Amino acid sequence: MSTEIGHAGSLRRIAINVGAGYVPGMNAVIMGAALAAGKQGWEIFGIRDGFDGLLHPERYPDGGMVPLSPQLVENLDPAAGGILGQSVRVDPFHVRKVNQEGMVEEVDMSDDLLKRLKAENIDALISIVGGRGLSIFYKLHRKGLNTVCIPRSIENDIAATAVSFGFNTALSFTIEMLDRARQAAQSARKIAVVEVQGSQAGWLALQAGIAVCADAVLIPEIPCDLKNVAGRLKEKISPRRPYGLVVVAEGAKFINKPQKEEPASSLKASLSPLATGEASDHVIKRSGQAAETVATELQLLIAEETYPLVIGPWVRGGAPTAVDRQLGLAYGAGAVRAVRVGKYGMMMAFAPPDIKFVPLAEAINKVRTVPVDSEFIKIARSIGICLGREL
Amino acid sequence: MKNQPNNPSAPTGTVLNIQRYCSHDGPGIRTTVFLKGCSLRCKWCGNPESIRIKPEIAYDPKKCTGKKCGLCLKSPFPEGAFYFVDGDDEHVKVNWDLAMDCDETHASLCPTGALEMFGKLMTVNEVLDEVEKDASFYRNTGGGMTISGGEVMLQPDFAAALLKGAHERGFNTAVETACNVPWANIEKVLPHVDTMLHDHKLTISERHKKWTGVGNERILANFKKAYETFPNTEFIARTPLIPGVNADEEHIRAVLAFIKPYKNVIDYELLPYHRFGLGKYEMLGVVYELDDYKTPSDDLVKRLQAIIDEAFGRSGPKTPAVK
Repeated sequence: MSTEIGHAGSLRRIAINVGAGYVPGMNAVIMGAALAAGKQGWEIFGIRDGFDGLLHPERYPDGGMVPLSPQLVENLDPAAGGILGQSVRVDPFHVRKVNQEGMVEEVDMSDDLLKRLKAENIDALISIVGGRGLSIFYKLHRKGLNTVCIPRSIENDIAATAVSFGFNTALSFTIEMLDRARQAAQSARKIAVVEVQGSQAGWLALQAGIAVCADAVLIPEIPCDLKNVAGRLKEKISPRRPYGLVVVAEGAKFINKPQKEEPASSLKASLSPLATGEASDHVIKRSGQAAETVATELQLLIAEETYPLVIGPWVRGGAPTAVDRQLGLAYGAGAVRAVRVGKYGMMMAFAPPDIKFVPLAEAINKVRTVPVDSEFIKIARSIGICLGREL
Repeated sequence: MKNQPNNPSAPTGTVLNIQRYCSHDGPGIRTTVFLKGCSLRCKWCGNPESIRIKPEIAYDPKKCTGKKCGLCLKSPFPEGAFYFVDGDDEHVKVNWDLAMDCDETHASLCPTGALEMFGKLMTVNEVLDEVEKDASFYRNTGGGMTISGGEVMLQPDFAAALLKGAHERGFNTAVETACNVPWANIEKVLPHVDTMLHDHKLTISERHKKWTGVGNERILANFKKAYETFPNTEFIARTPLIPGVNADEEHIRAVLAFIKPYKNVIDYELLPYHRFGLGKYEMLGVVYELDDYKTPSDDLVKRLQAIIDEAFGRSGPKTPAVK
C-alpha cells in the first residue's frame, strides 16, 4: 500500500487537510503535525479548502498547497481558526462540477486526487475529519492513499476514541450558555428548554446538563416520556423556585409523542415521481424542532410558561479550550508518529492516558452513544436530574 | 399496437418511473414518464432520485426487517456498506459512501424490497406499451403522455423517439424541462412536442447560479429560440415558488415581461414549494440543503397568481397548478 504513492525513504513529504465543518482547534492540530514533521526533517504541506487546493490549484493565485514551514507554524495562533480553510464538501468520489456543456454533474475525481498526490511526491496525508469523512478516507485508503485521520466532533460521537477534538470547547460554551439561560429563566419565572447539538449521541446535553444541575436532560439514547418530565418539574417548581431548566439534545426521542412534522402537502403526486404518502412521512429534523416540541408539550402538561432556546451551531465557533488545544496538538503530532511507523488507514484515538491509532474500519459505521448504564447517567440520576424515563 | 417487436436499433433510456392518471402535466388525463438525470442542482429539489443519470440503490427503512434478517451485511454486499448499531435500534444503517457501489443484483437479494433500484433501462416500445394502457382516457379527455425528469433533454434521442412513437399512436405529447442543455438536444425533441412546460426558476443569473449551480443565460436563450423556432408548439411557463428565493413580485413580473411577447406561450403557472422530497433524500443518503425552507403562504400565492391572471386577461382567479 505504502509504495503506491510518493516515494519511500527517510526524507518524506506529507500533507495535511481539513474536512467539511468547522471545529475550534484546527490550528492546534496543524501546528502539532507541522512541528512533529519538522522535527523528523520532513516537508509538510497544507492543502487548502479540503481537497480543492490539490484538485483545482488554478483557483489559488499563490498555489493550493501551503508549505507549513517552521517559521509559519511558529507564528500560528493555536487559538485561532484554521489557516487552511475548508470546503463545503470533501468527497473526491462525488465532486460537483459544471461540465464543458454547462451542465452540473458529480464526477469521481478520486483517481485524479491520487495522481496529484503522487505528482507532488506526497507520501502520506493527514486529514482532520468528522464521522462522514472517515468513511470517505476509508474508501480512499482502500484505493491506495496513505492516510491517517484525526477525529473532530462537536458531539463526541465518533467511535473508537474517548474524545474527539472540538467537543470540550463545545461543552464549555454550552455550559456557559446554559448558565445564562437559567439566570434568564429565574428572572422571568419560566422554564427554559434549551436545545443543544447531538443528533445521535447525547454527550453534550448530558455532560453540560450535569455541570449546570439542570432539572431534566433529554438525550437520544433514552427515549423520554414528557409526562414523566412534567411530573418531575412540578415537584421541583414552587413559589420559592419558580423556574426550571430543561436541556434537550436535538435528536431526542419521545415515547407516546410523535415528532412534530410538517403538514403533508396536497401536491399532486404527478409532479413528484416517487412521492407517496409513505415516503413523505419522515421529515428531516431541523434545528430547533426538539426544543419547540418539548417546550410546547410541557406547557400543555403543566401550568407553567416555557420558552425554547437553541444553542445549535453557535458552539462551532470561538477559541479552543485548553483541553482541545492540547488534544489537537497531540493528535497532530501523533498522526506524524503513525506516518513514521507506516501505520496507514488509521484514525488517531484518545484512550486515556494514551494517544494511539486505531484502524479506520473500527471507527466507521459506529456511533459513540451514551451507554444507559454509564457513569454519567448514574451521576445525573444521583443528583436528581430527570432523564425522561425511570429505568 | 401493443407488443410490437422491439427494434434493436431503437434507443433505450433510463426511466425513473411511469406514473398514470396525472392531471397537472398538460391537458387531460395523462401518463407521465419520468426520465433520470438532471443538469441542474436546485437546492429545493423535491426529486433527488431523478438527479443522477445512472440507476442507483435506495433504502427504505420501513420495509426493512433489520436485525432479524441482516443479509445485506454479508457478501456479496460491499464490506461496510450496511451495518447495525448497538442498542435497541433494529434498523439496518447505510454507509452511503460504501453502498453506492451496489447494483440491481444486490437490490434483488433483499427479501423485503427495502433495497430497491431507482431507475431502469427501458426501450421505447416498453415505455409506450405501458403508456398505451390508458389510451381510452386520453381519447376521452384530450390527454396523452408527458415526459418529465430530471431533465428530459439529457436523453434527447430517447425522448424524441418516445414522443414520435406517442404521436404515431395518437397521443397528445408534453415535456417538462428546464432547458439547461445545448440547443441541439432541444432541436431533436421539440418537433414531437405539443406542449412544453418549462421552468423560469430565477430571473437574475447570479442568483440562478447560486440556487441551481449554473447561470441562466443559455436557458433563457433556449426558451426564446424555442418560442421562435416552434410557433405551433404551446408553451407553458412555470415557477417553483420558494419563499426567500424567488417567491416575489419582481420575479413574476420579470417572467411575464419575458414571455408575453410570444403568443404561443399560453400560460404561466406557479408551483408552490413542497416538502415531498425529504423522505426520498433519506432513502438515498443525500444531504438536504434547504431543510429549513417554508412552503409559501396561501395569501402570497394568491397575490402572485393575481398578477399573472391580470397579465393573461383572466377576470376570475386561476387556481395555482398545485394546492
